[in-house]
This record gives sequence, C-alpha cells and structure tokens, in this order.
Amino acid sequence: MSRVLNCSLIAVAAMLTASSALAHHSFAMFDQSKTVTIQGTVKDFRWTNPHVFIQIMVKNDAGVEEEWSIEMTSPEHLVRVGWKPGTLKPGDKITLNIHPMHDGSDGGQYLSGIGPDGQPLIGTPTPSQGQAK
Amino acid sequence: MIPRRLALTAGILLCCTACLPAQTRMPDWSGQWEIAGAAPSVSGGFKDSLDQVLKEMQWSPPNRPEVQAKVNQIDAEERKRIAAIKRGEEVAVTGPTCTFGFPMIMIDSPLMFEILPTPKETVLIFSGREVRHVYTDGRDHTPKDDLWPTPWGDSIGHWEGDTLVIDTIEVKSPFPGTGPDYLPVLAAGGEAGQALLVTYLSSRAHFVEQIRMVDRDHLENQMTITDPVDFTAPWHLTRTYRRVKSLNRMVYESCEGEGEDRNPIVNGHYTIAPPRREGFPTPAPTNAPAGQAPVTK
Repeated sequence: MSRVLNCSLIAVAAMLTASSALAHHSFAMFDQSKTVTIQGTVKDFRWTNPHVFIQIMVKNDAGVEEEWSIEMTSPEHLVRVGWKPGTLKPGDKITLNIHPMHDGSDGGQYLSGIGPDGQPLIGTPTPSQGQAK
Repeated sequence: MIPRRLALTAGILLCCTACLPAQTRMPDWSGQWEIAGAAPSVSGGFKDSLDQVLKEMQWSPPNRPEVQAKVNQIDAEERKRIAAIKRGEEVAVTGPTCTFGFPMIMIDSPLMFEILPTPKETVLIFSGREVRHVYTDGRDHTPKDDLWPTPWGDSIGHWEGDTLVIDTIEVKSPFPGTGPDYLPVLAAGGEAGQALLVTYLSSRAHFVEQIRMVDRDHLENQMTITDPVDFTAPWHLTRTYRRVKSLNRMVYESCEGEGEDRNPIVNGHYTIAPPRREGFPTPAPTNAPAGQAPVTK
C-alpha cells in the first residue's frame, strides 16, 4: 500500500513538473482571478526570449509615473499571429488588460490591449469572438 | 508518328526515372508547420482552453485499470491546483524544463517545426531547437548494447510512396525526477498553459508514425503506440499539422532566454525582474538559481 502511495506521489510530482515545462514557468505568479486595465506610455518593447515584455509608464494614484513590466509570450509565438518587434514603439500611448502580479509589484500577464491608433492590438478578442484567437 | 530516336530517348528517360530508388524522389514538405489545436496565445499559454482541447482530442488511450486509476488520481490533484491558481491563491511552483521530447513534440506542443526529407535521413527541426533524426537508409535500430533511452528515442524510417513511416523506441521523459517508466502524455490548453495527464508510458513503449501530406497546407500523422506494460491494446491517434502561412522562415524559441530570462524564482515563487539596461552582467541574488536575472525591486 505504501509502495503504491509512494509511486503515486512521485507521479504527481512529475506531473506538476511537466505542466510547468509546457509554459516555461508556472503562471501562479499572476493573479488569474483578477483582470485590471492600465493606461500609459510605452517606454520599451523588449523583443526577447523566452518572453516579450512591454515596459509601460503608468501614473499611480498620486500622479507619479511608475514603470510596469507586462509579460507576453515568446517572439516565436507572437510572429505567428502578426506581432513584430516594431508593433509597439517608445512613446506609444496604449491601454492593456492584464492579470496583475500576486505580490503587488508593478507587472502582470498580458491579455489584450488597445494600440496607439485606438484599434485592438493583434490577438485582442472582438465581442463576437469571446476570447483571444 | 513520333520519330524513332525521340521515342527511344523518352523510353530511356522513363526507365531511368522508374529505376531510381523511391527515397530519392523526396516530397516537398518545405515550410513551417504547427500542430492544429495546440496553437499558442499571445499571453503565454494556448489559444484553446484545456476543456476545448480535451473535447477536440477525444483521446482515450487503452490504459490498464491500474494505470487509469493513477491517471485519475494525478489529474484530480492537478485540477485542484488549477482551481487554486484561478482563485488567486498562491501555490508552490516547480522548476521548468525546456524540452518537450517525443511524443509530446509531435502531438501537443505549441512549437512550430520544419521537416527536411533527404534520401538517407529525414530531419525534423523544432523552433525550440529540439531535433529528431529519422534514418531512412535501411538500417535497423541501434543495437541494444549501444542504445540508451533519450527524450527523442531511436528512430528509423522508410517511405511507402509519399508516406514517411517512422519507428521509434527507447524514449524517456525529459522531465526531471521521472523514472524510466513514466513518460507522460499530456493535454495542454488555456491562457495559463494548464495541462492534464492523459496517460503515461513505460520504457517498452513502441511508436509507429505514418506522416503524409493531405493537401498543400496540411500534413497528417497517424501514430500507433504499443506498450505491453501500461496498455491493453495499441493506441491509435491522429494529429494534423497546419502550414504557418504568416511566416516564410523559422523563428528561434529559447526557453533559457538570451540573457533576458526575467522570471527568477525568489523565495520559492516566480517573479518578474526588471529589465537589464546596464549593458553588463550583474551578479545574481543569492536566492536565485545561477544564470537568472537579479531582482532589484
């Protein structure tokens, strides 16, 4: 009985490792129960592996600008749906929907957004789609 | 009437073409391919939800009852973990592994790939820099005394018309902490890259793939897995590969990053480190693995 239990525990541990491997890292750092909207100015669009980041300056409640790091997927995945290294440029004023960080730091997981031209960013769901496609 | 000399020349040409070994007339599978139903999202996970993936795959491996019981137990734990993350509860994280390995890389991976058929070998190159070598020069599998399990196994193949038949043995899990008889097959989906176990395979698992072009933009892989330890019968599954039309080149994916991996584990949890702008490497904090970005926030 204990042998079966031990085997199962090893299998569970392996399974959890496998889940993490499918996405480079666990997404537990993002609070998936919350979606928040931030508006600001792009400071830097960092087109890097394993994750692309949007560095965006956002004013806090006191009106002071703070730099947020918004994590996207990899360049390989983004180019397949039409994103390019120049899709966002410093100075662009954009709106982003994100899952915020659990620890309250200035960052989050990218979900969707509105670009500087007022149009949805690539991959942002339209009302008829329901979710990002 | 066709002049005699012309007819003779045409006859010789036809004869030469027919006499060529089948594998010298390689099909054109050039371009980049992605697995239908496993496309990534812009957020870092998958376009399709895990429930959608499970519904569309309709995978039902012939697991032995004790295997299925273990799969159910593992998935029950994983569903609890997924629900805890969705509720916003912080849960422990585990270290990443950057290798998908076989068969996952062929059946449920978000990485695109190229297939390069040549007369003696077909090479499959994946964007994450995993490579499968399929030898089609008529050789047998590597002799047992010179063979050991790897995440991609030992593959030989042959052509039946324009269908590539691949035979693979000696596969082991790429994930750390797994023994030789735990090669997981997962179904993955959702914006957070959630995954559930479908089955697991023993070191005696044997894989036969039949890959053919259905039309210019689709390849099909009919895979049969036999496993005398964990299955009661062969498992047949089919995956479709779709041409990536938005690209005409392979794009590099690096799980390790290029000096810009900004997700160190700090106090047992992943976090986001600020970008490096100094232009020179800075020491990693003592609580982050070697090579990880420092945390200065």
